[in-house]
Amino acid sequence: MNKKAGFWKAFENKKDGAIRSYDLNSPMVKALVILIMIICLMFVVISVFPILWVFLASFKDIKEFTRNVTIIPDTFDLSRIKTTWQSLHFQKYYLNSLISVTGSVVCAVFFNGLLAYGFGVLRPKGYKIAYGLVMWSLLIPSTTCIVAVFRNINLIGLNRSFIPLWLAFGANAFYVVLFKEFFEGIPKDLFEAAQLDGAGPFKIFTSIVLPLSKPIMVVVAIFALTAAWSDFLLPYLVLSGSGKETVMVKLFAFKDTPTDAVSVLRATLFAIVPPTVLFAIFQRQITDGAAAGAVKG
Amino acid sequence: MKIKFKKRDLFGWLIMLPSLILFAFFVWEPLLENIRISLYSAKGYDLLEFVGLDNYIMVIKNPSFFQTLKNTVMYTIYSLLIGFIVPIILGILISETVHLKGFFRTGVYLPNIVPGLAMVWIWSYLFTPGETGVLNILLGKIGIEPQVWLTNPKWTIPLIVVALTWKGAGSTALVYMANISSISPELYEAATIDGAGIFQRITHVTLPSIGGITKTLLILQVISVFQVLYEPLVMTNGGPNGASTSLMMQMYQYAFRDYNFPAASALSVMICIILIVLSGLYMKLTKEKEY
Repeated sequence: MNKKAGFWKAFENKKDGAIRSYDLNSPMVKALVILIMIICLMFVVISVFPILWVFLASFKDIKEFTRNVTIIPDTFDLSRIKTTWQSLHFQKYYLNSLISVTGSVVCAVFFNGLLAYGFGVLRPKGYKIAYGLVMWSLLIPSTTCIVAVFRNINLIGLNRSFIPLWLAFGANAFYVVLFKEFFEGIPKDLFEAAQLDGAGPFKIFTSIVLPLSKPIMVVVAIFALTAAWSDFLLPYLVLSGSGKETVMVKLFAFKDTPTDAVSVLRATLFAIVPPTVLFAIFQRQITDGAAAGAVKG
Repeated sequence: MKIKFKKRDLFGWLIMLPSLILFAFFVWEPLLENIRISLYSAKGYDLLEFVGLDNYIMVIKNPSFFQTLKNTVMYTIYSLLIGFIVPIILGILISETVHLKGFFRTGVYLPNIVPGLAMVWIWSYLFTPGETGVLNILLGKIGIEPQVWLTNPKWTIPLIVVALTWKGAGSTALVYMANISSISPELYEAATIDGAGIFQRITHVTLPSIGGITKTLLILQVISVFQVLYEPLVMTNGGPNGASTSLMMQMYQYAFRDYNFPAASALSVMICIILIVLSGLYMKLTKEKEY
């Protein structure tokens, strides 16, 4: 009885939404609140079930997978998954992805951060032209020019290398905007005080901007990390047949190489695990960043 | 004083230069290069001779072009019917909860962290026809016959849009929730005093308050769905019988299946023009409404 009262009492602190605490005198509204919770729960089930299913179905062997009409596997035998890991050489793909992702994150933070420092703080004469061009590229999606980008990479002989994939993350208009907005939020007095003390733009960058920018660097790094891990079109074109294929390139290649369903499914599992772990660690930053970031993107 | 300013400017440009070179190499130059390639005949990556608009004519005359264009428009329409509405409903409903709010937020966001390619494989399995397909197993439990899913040409595009929505809706819902939580409670209270019930408060307070962000997200969604590429490429290979091939997928096939780079460039220039027109139209529409 007491517990039930506590459930409704919590609504006194409700901040968002159309249902206010004074509505709860009506039993109809109480029923509505319960109904909303049930619908939300259903949405969560729909969201989580397919991911959960990948974990469950990865324990099935191929016979069970293609013949048994069940969701839950007969046994939970990890050695089956381990066998697929070894036979598909996923250790190699993980390592390649690690190299590719690390370089991409470093480039994403370094180059876009520097450019945004120019746009947001230094503002050299004529910077608006460059800024306008960067903003325009927000409108034109990079995949439409994939042919010309790939041609450029071939022309300077960087095919079959991680370098163009790293550098591609250094030219991201969305990250530039995130950094720029953050830099513009730093109080101007800080810069003025430092200038009075005789600090040049380089000193100001290392002693004021850099230490203050940790939160935005984390946000961009997480964005770049997930984007680089999931990226496959350019990596597929650049890395195919080089022995440097990433997890996603391998996953994309299954399309053209006949492979048994369970192996593809387990490979999918391997592709999901790292972002899931990352999400578990940085849950707060990721959901907050998504809410704030998408608006500007 | 003037000299000092110039030095500062130079330093600023020097700091920005490396990043600007990357933008030039990966974004700006390819955009122009694309147009150039589209006007030439080529052997592999070597351009041979200027042919004017021949590549464009060839691409448009391809019998599958209009089917593909129509498919792409269908992707967009279905994504407005399904993908645009679901996040709004999600955002409003989760905003109304008090208990388990964090759990709901995290839960619906979770699909967003699944890489796009992994999502495509997962949904290929969910949509497997026959009685061992995952959705058919679930339907069987409530007594519904197994469905053929993606192999029915009428259902292919809407079902691919369902998969896209599954992945994207949660993060869009978070944006709506952030906007809903910035609505002042006084607005609701004033509406209550005017006699508005809960449903009317949602239609008269919540929805108008998120109107601006809704328009922005709408155009962003149209732009992104217009480029749908790897979902049909992996899930259906454009089938059955070309029923789900998108413009971007056709561009991909010209380039990396037929190695006809001029045709691919011509098609991608056309896609770019459509996207720019859409963005321009949107900006005009929103401006007119504001004044």
